[in-house]
Amino acid sequence: MAAAEEIAQALPITLKVNGEDVLATVEARTLLVHFIRDQLGLTGTHIGCDTGNCGACSIIWNGRLIKSCMMLAVQAHGAEILTVEGLAPHDNELHPIQQAFKAHHAVQCGYCTPGFLLAAKSLLDENPNPSVEEIRFALKGNLCRCTGYEFIVRAIESVGKQHTHASDITTAAQAPPGPSILDDLREAAEWEEGAPIRSHPGESER
Amino acid sequence: MLLKEVGYCRPATVAAATRVLDADENARPLAGGQSLINVMKLHVAAPSVLVDLNGIPDLRAIALNDDGAVRIGAMTIYDDLERSETLRRTHPIISQVAAHLADRQVRNRGTIGGNVCYSDPTSNFPPLMLTLQATMIVVGPDHEREIPAADFFRGAYEPNLRRGEILTAIRVPATKPGTGFGYQSLRVTREGWALVHAAAAVEMSDGVVAGARITLGCVSGTPVRARAMESALVGRVPGEEVVWEAARQAGEGINPPSDAHASAAYRRQMAGVMARRAVMEAIAGARS
Repeated sequence: MAAAEEIAQALPITLKVNGEDVLATVEARTLLVHFIRDQLGLTGTHIGCDTGNCGACSIIWNGRLIKSCMMLAVQAHGAEILTVEGLAPHDNELHPIQQAFKAHHAVQCGYCTPGFLLAAKSLLDENPNPSVEEIRFALKGNLCRCTGYEFIVRAIESVGKQHTHASDITTAAQAPPGPSILDDLREAAEWEEGAPIRSHPGESER
Repeated sequence: MLLKEVGYCRPATVAAATRVLDADENARPLAGGQSLINVMKLHVAAPSVLVDLNGIPDLRAIALNDDGAVRIGAMTIYDDLERSETLRRTHPIISQVAAHLADRQVRNRGTIGGNVCYSDPTSNFPPLMLTLQATMIVVGPDHEREIPAADFFRGAYEPNLRRGEILTAIRVPATKPGTGFGYQSLRVTREGWALVHAAAAVEMSDGVVAGARITLGCVSGTPVRARAMESALVGRVPGEEVVWEAARQAGEGINPPSDAHASAAYRRQMAGVMARRAVMEAIAGARS
């Protein structure tokens, strides 16, 4: 990289992406998400909104969940980043979180899914057995227009439970079979009925 | 390619950063980028050079001074504010506010210095900084200035910064014994877009309010003190009725904007509601 005070329009950067060393030259104006998709060809990181709202471009950067559309590629110099392509241990084996999304039908159109998977990984790395409330709070930066979130939350909750009950969760075969979709729908309906109605914070008191 | 062409540098010291910023009036410091990158995408801002402050290690520390004040480095991210053992002990209100900002991704990048320097009228930290009586420590190419929070916010998106200057730290004075804090916001969704913020500090002495600092956000281009409400509280035994009565004056002298989410009249009324709740929270804190 150029001397710290030197102003450059384009810079060489080195970083680790999904465990592999990468050397590239990037324009200063290139967003990290565009670098990942267009220069590295890792198109699993999606662009949903371009405005930093949807979280589809979420990646793990030096252990922290970030939105790659709100960071410059040059800022990834020296960093270690994990994209959705780096999640599964092998080509023919899913990560337990991916397996749980499959089992719980947490995917519909799939566009937001890479961001949700990494948000889930980041949460579970920090808090291996989160409560439903903690999961919901942690997913605030990720939008899904299909699922209504319920099955996503349940998928993540199930990984947390596996973590508590099994010493090794690296293979999907060891995961308890997910409930059927009908069970999920039935539970969702019950949950809706029994859910407390949270008062709107802005309701006038007088 | 969404951004216009821009130069980039990543100085390792504050002095080097101020030199680059001083040399080019269109150069801008890049902190967490959670606002600046977005306005650059929209071409609302088109700086010539981004001076990335992420390479300066000294700007990201939280230090407790001997006098009980804390010095928060301007590049401290929200997530670090939330987790700081020091802040949780000395100024937990800062950690509480940081914990609910935007979302997890933004809390991992956004900085307290970027937040106050962006001076967005809907931001959370500007009103809190006024209530905490924080001091902004600003460094230029050949000088340093200390600016009280009350003089730092000059208008919407207009911090009190001159060419070549950067905010390096925020000093928050020690909490006086018997003082409690409260912070309440009215939002479009639970942690969403804010319509009104109220930050309150209440100092109690022998069961009576000895002092109060209440600051409203989102009701003007800058955070504003609710002085009439403060005066109505001082010297009183703050029962719920007294605070209700005082809160009627929270909207006095403010002229909040109307938008799709809230009319001016609604914002003014809610300013009173949020101020009352923040004061009740502060009183409870002062008594505990």
